Amino acid sequence: MLSPGLLLFACFFVLPLGVMSVLSLLSGNPVNDPNVSFTLKNYLKLTEDIFYVEVLWVTLKIGFYTAVFSLLVGFPLAFQMARTRSKTIRTMMLMAVLSPMLVGIVVRTYAWMTILSDQGVINATLKNWGWLTRPLHLMYNEFGICLSLVHILTPFLVLTLTGVIGRIDLSLEEAARNLGAGKARTFFEVTLPLSMPGIMGGSLLVFALAISAYVTPILMGGFSVITLPILIYQQISGVFNFGFGAALGLILLLVSLVVVYLYHRAMRRFARGVGV
Amino acid sequence: MSKESKKGMTRRTFIKTAGAAAVAAGTFGFPAIVRSAPTELNVSGWGGTWSQIMKASVYPAFEKEHNCVIKTDTAFPFAPKLLASPKSKPFYDVMHANSNDQWKVAVAGFIEESYDPKKVPHIVDLHPFATSDKIAGIAAFTSAIGLGYRTDKTDCTFESWKDLWDKKFAGVRGTYVITNSLGTCAFMMAGKVFGKGLEDTEAAFKAMEALKPVKMVDFTGTMEKQLFSGEVIVGVIHDSAIWRHLEKNAPLAFSVPKEGVLALEQVWSVTKGSQKKELGYAFINHMLSPEIQKIAVEGMWYNPANKNVQLEQKFKEHLFTTAEQVKQLVQVDWKWYNANEDILTMKYNKIFQAR
Amino acid sequence: MKTRGWDIIVFRGVNIALIGFLLLPIVVVILFAFNSAEFIVFPPEGFSLRWFHKFFTDPDFMGSFFRSLKLAFLTVIVSTGVGTMAAIAIVRGKIPGARFLSALFLSPLMLPAILTGLALFQFYVIIEAGRTFWGLLIGHIVVTIPYVIRTSTTVLYNFDISIEEAAMNLGAGPWDTFRHVTLPLIRPGVIAGSIFAFIVSFDQFPVSLFLVNPGENTLPIHLFNYLKYSFDPTVAAASTVSIAMSITVVLVLEFTVGLQEYVRL
Repeated sequence: MLSPGLLLFACFFVLPLGVMSVLSLLSGNPVNDPNVSFTLKNYLKLTEDIFYVEVLWVTLKIGFYTAVFSLLVGFPLAFQMARTRSKTIRTMMLMAVLSPMLVGIVVRTYAWMTILSDQGVINATLKNWGWLTRPLHLMYNEFGICLSLVHILTPFLVLTLTGVIGRIDLSLEEAARNLGAGKARTFFEVTLPLSMPGIMGGSLLVFALAISAYVTPILMGGFSVITLPILIYQQISGVFNFGFGAALGLILLLVSLVVVYLYHRAMRRFARGVGV
Repeated sequence: MSKESKKGMTRRTFIKTAGAAAVAAGTFGFPAIVRSAPTELNVSGWGGTWSQIMKASVYPAFEKEHNCVIKTDTAFPFAPKLLASPKSKPFYDVMHANSNDQWKVAVAGFIEESYDPKKVPHIVDLHPFATSDKIAGIAAFTSAIGLGYRTDKTDCTFESWKDLWDKKFAGVRGTYVITNSLGTCAFMMAGKVFGKGLEDTEAAFKAMEALKPVKMVDFTGTMEKQLFSGEVIVGVIHDSAIWRHLEKNAPLAFSVPKEGVLALEQVWSVTKGSQKKELGYAFINHMLSPEIQKIAVEGMWYNPANKNVQLEQKFKEHLFTTAEQVKQLVQVDWKWYNANEDILTMKYNKIFQAR
Repeated sequence: MKTRGWDIIVFRGVNIALIGFLLLPIVVVILFAFNSAEFIVFPPEGFSLRWFHKFFTDPDFMGSFFRSLKLAFLTVIVSTGVGTMAAIAIVRGKIPGARFLSALFLSPLMLPAILTGLALFQFYVIIEAGRTFWGLLIGHIVVTIPYVIRTSTTVLYNFDISIEEAAMNLGAGPWDTFRHVTLPLIRPGVIAGSIFAFIVSFDQFPVSLFLVNPGENTLPIHLFNYLKYSFDPTVAAASTVSIAMSITVVLVLEFTVGLQEYVRL
């Protein structure tokens, strides 16, 4: 019963990845070019200019900051949602968390543009209050992108984490308190480690989504920040170099998997060290 | 026994009636049956207002006359989809796109670059820009890329492209990424204005460096929004986008700088591998007819390619319709640009990457 | 006693601020949906329902809206089914490196969706499948299953397997155990995953770009095209309707199934 599910998923999973891997290793498009051959030139192109490495670095950096800040924003919310005894509060919080997700990415990004841009809500209000003479540059840079991404992705983290925190056996926390541990200590040595699967799961999800994001970096970064997905999009719809675009995507994927692996190792050591 | 004979009777009767029906269909109905299956014509086209105009006023007459159904793909980008399909079975029968994309698919051998007046009769009524050597396909309309600006925020009327580089507009001017055709046009115009010509990329890159700080956007909708909200005071934009908002009495104007305006052509082409080429030619001809051109011009504020379009005064006031006016349109050599796009895009990206 | 009160207040305050942060753009969008001005400008002026009228009377908007809804529902059903089974197989199947595998299955999310869309498009061209609704559905399923797997495995890892063992010791067969013990306990993860699947499918853009049947756009594509020509608040109205829809669903779930189920035992 379980294996068909896994098998089916493997098909869905392998299909696009397989096609892309093949495309990245070919010299042209087999559909139209009969003389296509296997080549590494798409991958070698990455070494031609340090620019590509810089773009990769910027992409990973944005992913990292977004994951960290989503965690800082999302954990308190998830904690309250999981622990509150009031049905009303929980429902309202759930609605508050879900609504941003349903606005739609294009519209929501436009809303942020309205708020953050030089003539936008924040700058206009601060100017009216006399606090500013020149506008704060909250957009068209990495800050604007991260802020918008955190806003979009935190709900994912909150919903993942709430389930995990809700599962924590409260008697374990009570036991710690009965043994004399203060609230802070209980939190850091019992609650936090027990939330670790949720923290890891949620932050990895946010990281994955942040590094593959396209619409938000474009609209919020104003092209003064180039991320790898933007480059890939240029390759596909601008220059039509599918092979190179596919190669860029796979490199992003491989590097990210390495990051994920290291993260897993580090977290496991942390969880183990605390005796969970 | 009686049951079987009854069945047999019914079966024979059935066969008889069926046979009679078939004969009847053959003599009277068959041509009708054949005629009633409409052909599908696969085209690409913009969405939004353009597709509304197409569906309401342009397609129905054509579909009725030629017994066809036009299926429009409005999910841009179009060129990758055509390029990813086999040449013998192209994704589109007719492709409508800007000139840069048409050249990409032309160079890859997917579309016909020039057309026979016998197949597209209206081709003889067009301004020279529509079938020049800078066009792969036929340009049915064009816009002019110049500078749009807020009349209430500046006294400058932008007589020259160089005014965009004026220090007083630092941070409140807008242009596009080079992968957007307006961005490319602005880039190449910088080469002409500050250097030896449209293809003087060295001068153009220096000019781009000098243009910072500048707000960069991906498509004209965002530029319009920024001009309206005052986020930018002046931006590279095409005339259609400014005149479309004429009724709103916004403090916006469009300037035709002395160095010229660039053409942003709407180009149609028939794919080489299409099975419905005759229909495709007829479709393009339909686009070029004066009546249809008038509808599109009035709805979109495009400049028409057909010389014989009858327009109201308010359109003639702002658009390029006479042979003299049309001469101000500068056409970009997209074939040349596409060949160098890779390197140019990377250099452009580097200049504007915030550090 | 005093300190206890103090830090709870700070905690609540922080949360209110964070919720404010989450809701800020929503408020802006809703404000503009009811704004009478034709373009998005701050501060807003006047009150009007004309954008909602425009949204509901435009056949293209409505068509794409319902198409996206239909697609999202089907996507959720398949993704949740396959994803849950796959998650259980990963956690229980005693496959070596299972934890890492579950992270590996995040890959479709790490890959920019435009590549997934192009890859599937190319694949369909090669097998001459044409442009079908099912092709688009498969595209959506590919990008949503990882969410279900992610949330389901997260809950499964925290799962006390001794409860299952106890049930089996008491005589329940594997299928019964699964239905009456395992499934209810992992429900929060499955529900979270299906919520994600729905939202991601409804909002999905790059994959749909390549896989839609010409003329049958999904809502995000239609919105994007619309924004090319006009930035009037009709798009804000469309978003407000989506938000209202989700709030209604949440309220309905709360009063029928009871969201208590979702968060606790």
